[in-house]
Amino acid sequence: MKQEELNTKLLEIKGKLIDVEHKPHNRIFLLCESENAYAVNKFLFKNVALRFITATGIDSDDCFEILYHYSNDETGCVVTVKAFIRGRDNPAIESITPFLPGAEWIEREIHDILGIDFKNHPNLKRLILADDWPEGVYPLRKEAKK
Amino acid sequence: MGLKMKALKKSVWVFHVNAGACNNCDIEIVNLLTPKFDIERFGIKLVGSPRHADALLVTGVGTRQAAIRLREIYRQTPKPCIVFCIGACAGGTGIFEGGYHVAGPVDKIIREVDPNAIIAYVPGCPPKPEAMISGVLKVLSTL
Repeated sequence: MKQEELNTKLLEIKGKLIDVEHKPHNRIFLLCESENAYAVNKFLFKNVALRFITATGIDSDDCFEILYHYSNDETGCVVTVKAFIRGRDNPAIESITPFLPGAEWIEREIHDILGIDFKNHPNLKRLILADDWPEGVYPLRKEAKK
Repeated sequence: MGLKMKALKKSVWVFHVNAGACNNCDIEIVNLLTPKFDIERFGIKLVGSPRHADALLVTGVGTRQAAIRLREIYRQTPKPCIVFCIGACAGGTGIFEGGYHVAGPVDKIIREVDPNAIIAYVPGCPPKPEAMISGVLKVLSTL
């Protein structure tokens, strides 16, 4: 898919986004609230047919951010969906694993270390923390003990 | 202890333990065992069980998950035995110092089981096979 075609397709989802940022020529950020993240991801994966690379979890000062990275392999353009989870108590977001099984482990990892609840995830068990790690302690949160 | 120590130094059989290493030190250990360096000329041989080993080659920082296993492996090794901390992580946690998953360094974990353990350090990231040979021979000549 050429860059122009990708840009036109991304216009279809504009209603669910807060903002679209074109950083360098081959990097696009789609900013959205956590409620719309599922629909945006499904659109990118199913309709635009981009390749899912990975996801990132960030603890910002006032919210959590989940970044879903997609690649358009023909042009090398990376499209990132930046979903904001407002509020620090019980952060939750809809899981994308039901239609994208490749996201299962990265969602389990983000759940382990940031404590974000991925709703409708089929298998949200502990992945990378030690077996004797206490429940409810999330090592990469800002309030975690240094 | 005299006879046991003499027997230990005669031909050191080693068991390799990965306690959370990034695999770089492990690759150098594999390199050490190849014909190029040929450590069997010193009687050093890799064995498949800690119960047959005279020395443990420990790589990695000693993570929370691996620390329990490392202590168990040390208990299973016949005494006297030598523990080699291979690499910067095993020697002093290296770049992972203060990390949430770190239970090490390796000497601290081993000393919880046996305060008088014989522990040798081969620093480097990763250490060269030559450095490991030099470390082993230095320990054997010191004991």
